[in-house]
Amino acid sequence: MAYLRLRQLVKSYDGKSNAVDRVSIDVERGEFITLLGPSGSGKTTTLLMIAGFETPTSGGIELDGRNLVARKPYERNVGMVFQNYALFPHMTATNNVLFPLKMRGFPKHEIGARAEQMLGLVGLRRFADRYPRELSGGQQQRVALARGLVFNPDVLLLDEPLGALDKNLREQMQVELKRIHREVGITMIYVTHDQTEAMTMSDRIAVFCNGKLEQVGSPLDVYNRPANRFVGEFVGDSNFFAGRADPARPGWIQLSGLGPVRIAGDLPAGEVDVMIRPERLRLQRPDEGDGMDNLIDLIVDDTINYGDSVLVIGKTRGLPLRARLSSKDGAALGPGAALPLAWAPADAHVLARR
Amino acid sequence: MVRYVPLVLALLAAIFLVAPMAIIVPMSFSKAISFEFPPPGYWTGYYAQYFSSHSWLEATANSFIIASGSMALTLIAALPAAFGFVRHRFYGKSVLNLVMLVPIIVPAVVSALGYYSFLSPLRLVGTHAGMILAHSVLSIPVAFLVITAALKGFDRNLERAAMSAGAGPLRTFLWVTMPVLRPGILIGALFAFLHSFNEAVVAIFIAGRDASTLPKKMFESIRLESDPVIAVVSTLLTGAVLLGVLLSLFVRKRPASR
Repeated sequence: MAYLRLRQLVKSYDGKSNAVDRVSIDVERGEFITLLGPSGSGKTTTLLMIAGFETPTSGGIELDGRNLVARKPYERNVGMVFQNYALFPHMTATNNVLFPLKMRGFPKHEIGARAEQMLGLVGLRRFADRYPRELSGGQQQRVALARGLVFNPDVLLLDEPLGALDKNLREQMQVELKRIHREVGITMIYVTHDQTEAMTMSDRIAVFCNGKLEQVGSPLDVYNRPANRFVGEFVGDSNFFAGRADPARPGWIQLSGLGPVRIAGDLPAGEVDVMIRPERLRLQRPDEGDGMDNLIDLIVDDTINYGDSVLVIGKTRGLPLRARLSSKDGAALGPGAALPLAWAPADAHVLARR
Repeated sequence: MVRYVPLVLALLAAIFLVAPMAIIVPMSFSKAISFEFPPPGYWTGYYAQYFSSHSWLEATANSFIIASGSMALTLIAALPAAFGFVRHRFYGKSVLNLVMLVPIIVPAVVSALGYYSFLSPLRLVGTHAGMILAHSVLSIPVAFLVITAALKGFDRNLERAAMSAGAGPLRTFLWVTMPVLRPGILIGALFAFLHSFNEAVVAIFIAGRDASTLPKKMFESIRLESDPVIAVVSTLLTGAVLLGVLLSLFVRKRPASR
């Protein structure tokens, strides 16, 4: 059975609308799971309920088979890291890390070594005697991480912990966090609205929208096979086309405005949405492909050059279309240029219209 | 030239602030029987007079007792009030907020009269308790304002962090909330103490003989005797305040150097 179970979790502040709406997730021991969603999607509220700072309106939270809901935050063995670090300003880094050990009554002779070891794990042994105000943002967040981990919690909750850091530091900290997760092996639940962060760090991603859980799956699962249009648009860049599966022609879908295209795999019947990731579109070359590729023309409106790739924004027969090309293929494209593109039948993902 | 202007202004301000002391301190060592400047000669006779005068020493003790009591009562009332106002929503909050601040608006003489007629049927005129109550009425709203401001800037995630670290409500309050709010609370306490220590108008109305404070005694002394002991008291008070400020500076330096 799963280690941490959220069962039909509901939180309503006003009794009318649900900030969190019947969310059920099973988290395995040692897993790194990310709750991903736009602001106000209920991901942080869900986290606060696991921590015990919010009480669920209904539903259950079980940890290792025991009910967690009835217990106060300080009676749960759950660590937490906050976006604004929330270090105790009147304590040194060491004392911040010692605090949970003292509060939880760890043996006196053990706590000094434990705190030191934890500060070593986050690479801050040299700064042990500094006060939070004497540390940079990244260093403060490392102290907070050490404080959240030092008492060996059952679960560590992270609420947008890298949100206040600049981009380079953020990427560095992502790698660090993954390393620490591997080394301590503690179950981590990570909240973010940054889909890149979710993709690069997680074992699994849970996508939230309007309080509802839209999809839970591995990063590649969520990226390649989104459960619905919201997930497809929120995670990564995407093109969506409306279409209709024709029972008379299996393997083909009639895209409205674009005509028939070949699609691999089992297709739902009736009205569908077809998603093609911009990086799956490639420049059509006469000598390439097995003749099964779908062809599409892109009239360029604008290009964004990222250095390692170029995002081409334009239209195909009046419908918006984006393609991500190599910097070589995408260089020197001006507005109005017509670009012949191709994509393989297996590169599209088809969703039944709800 | 222009760049010396701030320096000159600062010097002028400093002189203006220190000048009274430059007169009072020599006068406290004066031989004159009344106020006279410059003093005709110097001795420490008036210091001896102060330290041997029962009424002056009693007034000093009263002042300390009443100021300490007023400080304690102020904190006991203002701290929970600030927490209630900042952290909870309730009916009539904005009206009550205004009521809290009324004592600051009412002129001291008016409220002094009010205290007199309110405290006399309770037999509290001329008692320490009566003085403590009256002085707290004004320092509670000021301390409330200061503590409220500090509390509004307080990051509640600190309390959440403490709780997830295993600290219950009481330990969270003692080890995290209080230490972080300490500057605001100290300023409120300091104000309460100094306000009570300096307050003369209310004291004249309700202190009576038994709870007479230093400001009241000084006022009477000036009116009745014009006796240079006042200069002695002023010098001692200034010295005490100076010592307190220096001490607090020294104490504050300590934790950072650890």
